[in-house]
Amino acid sequence: MSTALELLWAEKYRPRTLDEIVNQREIVDRLKRFVKEKNMPHLLFAGPPGTGKTTAAHALAHDLYGEGYRQFMLELNASDERGIDTIREKVKEFARSRTPPDIPFKIVLLDEADNMTADAQQALRRLMELYSNNTRFILAANYPSKIIDALQSRCALFRFTPLSKEDVVSRLKFIADNEKASYDEDALEAIYDVSEGDMRKAINILQTAASLGKVTVDSVYRVIGMARPKDIREMIEVALKGDFTGARELLRKLMIEYGLSGEDVVRQVHREIFSADLKMPEELRVLVADYLGEIHFRIVEGSDDDIQLSAFLAWLSMMGRKYGATS
Amino acid sequence: MSKAPARLPWVIKYRPKHVDEVVDQEEAKSQLLTWIESWLAGKVPSKRAALLYGPPGVGKTSLVEAIVRDYKLELLELNASDYRRAEDIRKTVGMAAFRRPLFGRLLLILLDEVDGMSARGDAGGIEELLRIIPNTQNPIVLTANDPWQDALKPLREQVLMVQFKELTLNNVVGLLQNICNKEGIECDREALRYIAEKNMGDVRACINDLEAVAEGYGKVTMELVRALVRGRDKSIDLWRTLNGIFYAKEGWQARKAVLSSEEDYETLLAWLNDNIPNKYGDPEDAFRAWDALSRASLFLSRAKGGDWDFLTYVFDMMGPGVAMARKSGEILKNRYAYPSKITMMAKLREIRELRDSVAAKVAPRLGVSMATFKADVLPYLLIMFRQGDVERAAGMVVSYDLTEDEVQYLAGARAREIMRAAEKVRQELRRGAKAEATAKKGAEQPQERPAEKRGQLTLDLFGVPSQGASEAKKEGRRRSSRSSR
Repeated sequence: MSTALELLWAEKYRPRTLDEIVNQREIVDRLKRFVKEKNMPHLLFAGPPGTGKTTAAHALAHDLYGEGYRQFMLELNASDERGIDTIREKVKEFARSRTPPDIPFKIVLLDEADNMTADAQQALRRLMELYSNNTRFILAANYPSKIIDALQSRCALFRFTPLSKEDVVSRLKFIADNEKASYDEDALEAIYDVSEGDMRKAINILQTAASLGKVTVDSVYRVIGMARPKDIREMIEVALKGDFTGARELLRKLMIEYGLSGEDVVRQVHREIFSADLKMPEELRVLVADYLGEIHFRIVEGSDDDIQLSAFLAWLSMMGRKYGATS
Repeated sequence: MSKAPARLPWVIKYRPKHVDEVVDQEEAKSQLLTWIESWLAGKVPSKRAALLYGPPGVGKTSLVEAIVRDYKLELLELNASDYRRAEDIRKTVGMAAFRRPLFGRLLLILLDEVDGMSARGDAGGIEELLRIIPNTQNPIVLTANDPWQDALKPLREQVLMVQFKELTLNNVVGLLQNICNKEGIECDREALRYIAEKNMGDVRACINDLEAVAEGYGKVTMELVRALVRGRDKSIDLWRTLNGIFYAKEGWQARKAVLSSEEDYETLLAWLNDNIPNKYGDPEDAFRAWDALSRASLFLSRAKGGDWDFLTYVFDMMGPGVAMARKSGEILKNRYAYPSKITMMAKLREIRELRDSVAAKVAPRLGVSMATFKADVLPYLLIMFRQGDVERAAGMVVSYDLTEDEVQYLAGARAREIMRAAEKVRQELRRGAKAEATAKKGAEQPQERPAEKRGQLTLDLFGVPSQGASEAKKEGRRRSSRSSR
């Protein structure tokens, strides 16, 4: 059976060439022109997660250089690299490497570029100029507004939009058929609804639901529920009841079982604040968001996760008692 | 939270119940017993109070409790640090001191931690005690870690001083061994020795460490103990610092307590973090204390960023900030607890490492960052491994070349099942690959090689032209990339 070589479907069904990219028509057309002309400026790909920015960059490189394109493309991720110095070193080495036979430049793909500080972006700008004779940069970013003007003005901007319902559903259908997974049609629409145009997320949900059995609306929502640890909500509820100790016990369990960092916990708590499943007075939600933001800031500044989150839970238990919150 | 009914902490469970179970304090024992027996015989001794002193965890309170049990006395236990003002002492100790014994039983008044009373700015608690002691009709026992403070000088002259020594190493090791035997825990004697050495005769600390290691890992080996047990040889210092902060009346006292501590700031922060709930019962007090602690931690990170001028605010926040947070006046009597964070960190580190190594293998193949992978993909992978189809999970183990530890992290209880299935998949692939290789000797290898050359294992598998069993799979693959040809 085909299960022998199971991969994450998000990898397996990633388009390899520009032709295979079904959506983002205009973008693909413009990119194809670069391939034809064998030349291109620096590019800035902007758009929400899962809209195909990295995929488009790979497909572009593939069409430019052929199957072995990887030797002519350096892929870096701003959030994973340790600062601009490592990026500089890697780019420097890469720029000195072999150039492709009939195309005058190589490509540096810098993913999540909007996670770089303004200073690092300035350094990046100089880097781009330094190697512009034989290197083109593709910067991918979720929020183009976080890219400094000096960089934006040096790049051609491409805006990636969330995928349409038709695109997502037809792709999911293709994958499900191909994998011989059984599914309900409306389950695929449910997947679109919860994935908000993020193709990668949609495919992950499909594969997870399929691994549990038939893909139904129910199983889709079950997967979504499981992917967000419900302990987070429980932790908030326990704290709101005024039971600080119980809440902190849950916090520590979460951090250990899921290996969550302080920032991970903050993000997941944030997802819950305005959720209808979490019962609390509306005005308190705003206060929670505000204080959570403060805690988030303190964690990012480098202070101790455990202390910050304890402070947050202590605040929650105090406010919970004040408001007589929870149902 | 433990809902199990009778799960007692070992320090309580293995407290000596009888006088003869109190080890290694023979001198203190005979001194105190003579004194008590004199009371019992109706001869009121010249010193009507006894001060038991010595390092923490050597059995001061335990001995008193054992005497109470063996001699069938009545016990009134007070924590001195809670009753510092003269009127508090008069109301509690004073009342008890002149009470007639009930049912002919002798009433013993135990006043714990009197050195906590002597903090400056104190409202005459000690003076009140000095007035009560010469006239008390019932024996009063005081305990202290450090009786040599100036404030306690007049007290020292009025009481029977009973010294408790640090326990010998062998005695402590024997005691720990005994507990392990009773709990059915496998342990290295070397490891027990290590725990005993690190805690320098503080039996309570030793038992806490032993329990922490045994409970987390089911056994006590040298390796675990080295990683988890930190020396608590400064426990007196810590105890003094924490008391100095939690019981401070004015900001400067708390600040002084922090400044005079020998512990590093991080350790002190961790202790405060875990002990606020042991001292502050009022939720508003607790929140204010944590907010101050949270700001202390923030200033510390700024200071460590190179600007050491900020360090002074760290002291302000963790000392006075925590101390002045208590506005309700309420303070709990709970003992200080060893920060669980320190044991937790070892476990947490292990899990994070596994998570990162899975991310490093899979994220590049999806073209996403490690951070994105962990936030957006990993949750689904966890569900597939923990609850999804075993064969499919096994397939992914092979595709991404995951190690046993990584699978253990992803799949939890199902890890073994999945690893077995993965081994089967590997065998089949090897057999299939061999058969095919001999059938058509690498004829179409060059153009069959797929574009992505990232995965080591998958690359080889896909690179070998296949037939039969894996044909369906390949078909899907080709279709998805058909226009590239």
